[in-house]
Amino acid sequence: MRDNLIITRAAELDALAVFRGFIAQTCKQLGIADDVSFQLQLACDEAATNVIQHGYEGMNPGSIMLELQPGPKKITMLLTDFGHPFEPVETEAPDVDALLNDRPTTGFGLYFIYQTMNDVSYFTDERGNHLVLTKNL
Amino acid sequence: MFRALRLKQESPKVVPEPKPLTIQEWLGDAQFPLGIRTINALPYDAKQRFYRTLVPPELLGRLGINPILWRGNGYQLELYAPEDSGKVNISLNNPEDPSDAYFVLELQDNSTNGIDLNLILLNDPFAEKFGIELDEQGTKTHWGTITRNLREEERAMRAGLAPAQVRAGMGMAREVLHQLDVFLALCARQAVSLEPLTYASAWIFERRGFAYVRGHKLMDQIHREFQPGGALRAALDGSTPFRSPEAWQTVRGRAWAIHDGILEHIGERWRDLRMIKVVGKHAAAQTFPDAKY
Repeated sequence: MRDNLIITRAAELDALAVFRGFIAQTCKQLGIADDVSFQLQLACDEAATNVIQHGYEGMNPGSIMLELQPGPKKITMLLTDFGHPFEPVETEAPDVDALLNDRPTTGFGLYFIYQTMNDVSYFTDERGNHLVLTKNL
Repeated sequence: MFRALRLKQESPKVVPEPKPLTIQEWLGDAQFPLGIRTINALPYDAKQRFYRTLVPPELLGRLGINPILWRGNGYQLELYAPEDSGKVNISLNNPEDPSDAYFVLELQDNSTNGIDLNLILLNDPFAEKFGIELDEQGTKTHWGTITRNLREEERAMRAGLAPAQVRAGMGMAREVLHQLDVFLALCARQAVSLEPLTYASAWIFERRGFAYVRGHKLMDQIHREFQPGGALRAALDGSTPFRSPEAWQTVRGRAWAIHDGILEHIGERWRDLRMIKVVGKHAAAQTFPDAKY
């Protein structure tokens, strides 16, 4: 039987390295290419950082659960937290071609995630707040 | 496609408001989530069928109680589920002293229409009872959270109990929590939340698959501060029976020291923790790796 593909850590910056290591190790075990593993780690870093910095604002921070769900032609990465829910909003994509001084300082997290993942969705239910990231293999 | 995530200003309801259902609604959608208030609105026998799933047959069998009738061998399970209430309480008490509970399970609809596990007690009827629930003036201590009976608590600790335990447990937490998962699935619910009363109970729930809505960072901090050089380790100075220098080594030892107020050394108190269990999932949180209970 496969090892548990869930890991849960406190919503602190220390968790980021643990999550990266978990993704790297799991991808290796599943025979997933290094470049995909790296993209998953990058997306996880961006998403988890957002939760750590904003999701638990004003609270005694709770958990972030990271779950990998491998499928035949894709791998799904599910990040769950129990902090304040976010609300998906439409905004213009950041202008990455702008001069450094003219670029906005925020808004790049999801941009990077969209660049590396094939599907991105977000929802809240009684199990918590879920960011679902899918990468085709 | 969304391009940004903005913090919501209000917590949304996780399922629709609980209300009595028509037969057509019952038959119509097996995925419609039921709340405690909805089940309580049913006739007694119908709600007992639902709530029967919460009590492990093994627990009843061990005490010679019929799992269908909920009575036997002098015992009687009590179901308290008023039809206008969002709370259910199932209890098994000492037939000679109804205030002496052997088993209690209480669930309640919460403010976001989720379900809270308010209370779970599993006391071995054949184990010695410790009088921690009343102080020396006979006032209720609320398991030592309001006032304390230090003499009885020390006896309980030396007998191997954790804070808030009046008797040794029945060793059936796994079975009860499994039944709770079954009940939640029956109700088309996906999670249950609770507030752990003690460090020991948080650790037990964590081991049974719960994650933290609030307090994961505090649990990590507690573990860190019990390591060599940590403030909690240094505060285990033997100044009370609950702060012995070895207490850091075990879940129970730490729990007694925390119950005794040792968290003041890191500017914290045991409060405001909240945990969640997703049906069918083990979160694999681990705030005291390789712990000895």
